[in-house]
Order: sequence, then C-alpha cells, then structure tokens
Amino acid sequence: MDINLVDFFQRNTRTIMEYTENHFTLVLSAVVISLLIWVPIGLLLTKSDKWAARIMALANTIFCIPSLSLFAIMVTIPALGLGRKSALLALVLYAMMPLIRNVYDGVKNVDRNVIEAAKGMGMSSGRIMREIQLPLGLPVIFAGFRITVVMTTGIAAIATYIGERNLGRFIQEGLVRSNTSMIIMGALIISVIAIALDTILGGIEKLVIPKGLRARR
Amino acid sequence: MIELKNVTKQYPGQPHPAVDSLTLTVPEGEICVLVGPSGCGKSTTLRMINRMIEPSAGSITINGQSVMNNDPDHLRMGIGYVIQQIGLLPHRTIAENIAIVPRLYKWPKEKIVRRVDELLVMMGLDPEKTRSKYPSQLSGGQMQRVGVARAMAVDPPIMLMDEPFGAVDPIARTHLQDEFLRLQKEIRKTIVFVTHDINEAIKMGDKIAIFGEGKLVQFGTPEEVLTNPANEFVENFIGYDRIVKKLFLYQVQEAYRPAVCRLRPEEIGNALSKMLAEKAEVAFVLNEADKPCGYLTREELEQEETARDADGLQKLAARRSKAFVQTTTPLPDALSVMLEYDAEYVGVLKNGLLEGVMSFKDIRRHVYRREGE
Repeated sequence: MDINLVDFFQRNTRTIMEYTENHFTLVLSAVVISLLIWVPIGLLLTKSDKWAARIMALANTIFCIPSLSLFAIMVTIPALGLGRKSALLALVLYAMMPLIRNVYDGVKNVDRNVIEAAKGMGMSSGRIMREIQLPLGLPVIFAGFRITVVMTTGIAAIATYIGERNLGRFIQEGLVRSNTSMIIMGALIISVIAIALDTILGGIEKLVIPKGLRARR
Repeated sequence: MIELKNVTKQYPGQPHPAVDSLTLTVPEGEICVLVGPSGCGKSTTLRMINRMIEPSAGSITINGQSVMNNDPDHLRMGIGYVIQQIGLLPHRTIAENIAIVPRLYKWPKEKIVRRVDELLVMMGLDPEKTRSKYPSQLSGGQMQRVGVARAMAVDPPIMLMDEPFGAVDPIARTHLQDEFLRLQKEIRKTIVFVTHDINEAIKMGDKIAIFGEGKLVQFGTPEEVLTNPANEFVENFIGYDRIVKKLFLYQVQEAYRPAVCRLRPEEIGNALSKMLAEKAEVAFVLNEADKPCGYLTREELEQEETARDADGLQKLAARRSKAFVQTTTPLPDALSVMLEYDAEYVGVLKNGLLEGVMSFKDIRRHVYRREGE
C-alpha cells in the first residue's frame, strides 16, 4: 500500500476542485430547496395538531429509509433517472424530518403565556408568529438547520452511486481500485467540510438566541 | 359599563356548562371582583369579555356595544389585559413590551417613548434604570408592575385582570394591591378582576361576584356579601372569620368617640375627680406640647392598691404611650394595637393631636350595628 496524500493532491488538484464544487452545489441546492419547502410547512403545521402528527410520521418514515435505498428508488422514477434530480429529491426528503420537527418544536415550545398575553392585547396571529414565535423559536429552528446541513453534506457523498461526480466518488473509485490515498483523500475532505460547517453554524447558533434570553440578572 | 346577559359557555363533551346563564353588570369606574374556587367559571367569564373565549349563548356589551360586533383583535386592543403569568415578551426590552399596544395603534415614536416613561414612573419604576432591561433582569414584583403598565399603555377605559398579583410573594402582593387601589382612585377604570382569594376580593372590590360551578351565587358590595352571605356555599367560602374579615372594611373614624377627657400635666393629681366630673372611663395624659403620651382608666384609679402619687400615675399612663391609632387606621390594625398593649382603649390621633378614644366595646358595637342592617 502506498499512501501519499500530498502527491495525490498535487496530481489531482483539478479533479478535487471539481468534485468539491459539485459537492457544494448539490448540498447548497438541497439545503436551499429544503428550507423553502419545509420551513413554511413546519410553520403551517403548528396550526393543526392533527396534520402535524401525520406529516411528522411521514417524515420519520422517510428518514428511516437507508440513503442508498432512497437514491436507488429515485433513479427508478422515469422522470428523474440517474443524476442530480434524483440526488436532490432524496436529499430534500431527508431534510424533511430535522427541519419540520425543529420548526414545529421551536414555535410550539414558545411560552404559552407570552402568546396568550400578546393575543389578549390584540396582536394578530400573523404578527404573533413574526414578532414572537419565530424569534423565540429561532434557536431551535436553527439547530435543525445545522443538523440538516451537516447531514446533507454526508449523504450527498453517497449520491456518487447514482452518477453525481462529487467527493464521494474518490471513496467509491478508491474502493474499486484499492487506491488508499484516494479513499482517504475523499473521506478526509468530506469530513473536514462537515466538521467545519458544523463548527461555523454552531457559532452562528449562539448569535441567533434573542438577546433578552441571554441576558441574566 | 360592561353588561353580561344570560351568558353561557358550554364546552362540547362536558356535562355541565363552564358558565351557566350568567347575568352581571359592572358599573363604570368600579372594580368588580370575580371570586370563587378553581373551576367555577370566573376566568372563563373574564376571557369571554375580550373574546379570548367565545360565549356559546347570551350577550356581552361594553357601553351598549356588543363585543361580537367588533373584530376580536381590534376589540382586545381597546381593553387592558393582565394575566397572572404576565407573559412579558422575553426577547423585548421593558420599553418595547410596554409599547406593544401603542405600536398596534401606530402611535408616533416620540409619543410612545414619552408614554412608556410616564407609565414606568406611575408604576413606581425608574425609567432610566428599567427602560432598556429585559424581563429576565427584573424581580417578580417589578414584572407584575410592567404587566400592569403594559395593559394601561393606551389608557383603555376597561381592564381585565386575571389574578394579576397572584405570582408574587405576600408582602409584594399587599404592596401592589395598595398601590393599585391608590392609582385606581385617579384613573377610575372599569375593571373586572379575577381572584380565588376572598381576602383580595374584599380588599380590591367595589363589588364582589361570588361564583360557584359556573353560576353567580352572590353579587354585591364586600359589606353586603360579608353581612348577608346568600347561602351556605358563600358562608363556607368566606370562612369562619367572616366578622373579622368584615373589620377590614372599616376604619377607626367610623367607630371612635370624639368625647375624651384630657389631663394636662398639672391636672394629673386630680385625675379621678376630673374623670368623675366628666363621666369619663378613661383620661389621656398630655405633655407640655399637648401631645398625648398615655392614658389612665377610672378602674385603675379607683382601685386602692394602684393609688399613687402624680409621678406614679405618669409612669402608669406612659405604659400605654404607643396605644394610639390614626383615624384612617383599619379596624383590624386598631384591634391588633389593643391586643399588643393589653389595652381596653386606644387613643385616636389626627395630625398628631388627640382626636378621640375608641374602646373594644366601640368596635363591637360598630360591627354589631352594621351586622343588624
């Protein structure tokens, strides 16, 4: 076995950059689409306990499907086929559980008395959502966002099996070719990205806690 | 004026209505206290007035206008609302919390800033120190004050208060109650006030409405309710100390006697003869500046073993140097003074000068007379 990461990096800089870029664009699109779909749905579900239970059960079920299986299922759908569309859809479906659950919990766990008082003063339910439930639920919602980003970064690597040319490909090809440098390089870059993203988002998470909740006597 | 007519709230699947055909009128500028054991429908009633709960039947009108004719949010903007848990927005400063309703009314910024400071001062909080703090930085009592200030922000003529002082310790509660009553004398709001504490009801209410199982059992002034409990339920709810509670309604000025025998320093030797001449049971000893410094009773003077010289009498009188109350002292406090100094009498002061005398018998007679009414 010949492990020479520096050599591998120098000889494949271009490919690494290309794969990293593909990886990032996939993760970014998946996260953006997920936010646009699941956050509003999560907010909507706070209005109906019945639908919340149903949708959350569905999200949980999807979350239980192994990622390789889900990617494979997507490919069998004629409209999607091999490639980005299938990958995106699978990633967005995975993000459903952490995003919806955290948006719902974040908003629902806001002190009922605060909402009762605001309602009693004549604040409309839209205003209560914007000015009270969202800001107070933001730390929990953001935690869901953080989990989603890190999780998507990891699962995106597996999309290489359905034709995505991203960092997962180093691992896949490395395994096929028994190229240790390649495997380690792929694994390392994905891990570093995931850890870095988690650390950065963890820092931001502290900042989104409303000031009044941080201030103590 | 708030009028409830045959108001009923029936929750689906419940055998009995939460509020059952309730008719009640809250006159302008008065505090009407809804009181009763938990689950009696008092909070439900309060919350139907601002439509936090929609009544199943009956009509609720404010100054002749049915609350059902108004958009609920708009209706609530015009009614002050205070709840026990206060519900301050934890992510907003105190000033922002108080400014919520003014902002809903789109008041100009300067007007809001001025009003916030005004309210903080009114509630006994220092605007400089409080304004930009967050709720978590305040004590329970301070938060309650902010809650009341917030409800009064746009000076609504009506306030609904659901156990507004329930979440603070007894000392702070008494303080808040006293302050609020003083404030109410100036602002004269029409207030519906919910509590489960009969003592608070007696203290705060111009009128008391006693609830039991969704029904209004008795409605009247605290004195009426304490004098003539409508039935056993009310009697039990008030408790065995009904008459003692009633004492809280009265002040010394209603029960004392203005006629009083005064002893100047030089007259102390002839105390007994002066008292006999004035047919007085008790004589107050004054000092050079006419300030009372104690008293002697006829009984004491007539008993041979206590016959003493002027100096001895002075000392005897001085033992009761603190047995004095003001005309505005509540009767229970006066009674407490009597018990503390083992005294049958207390001197009644007004502006530091002796105004009259009150005996235990006077209190008894006063309460008995009111009972008989």
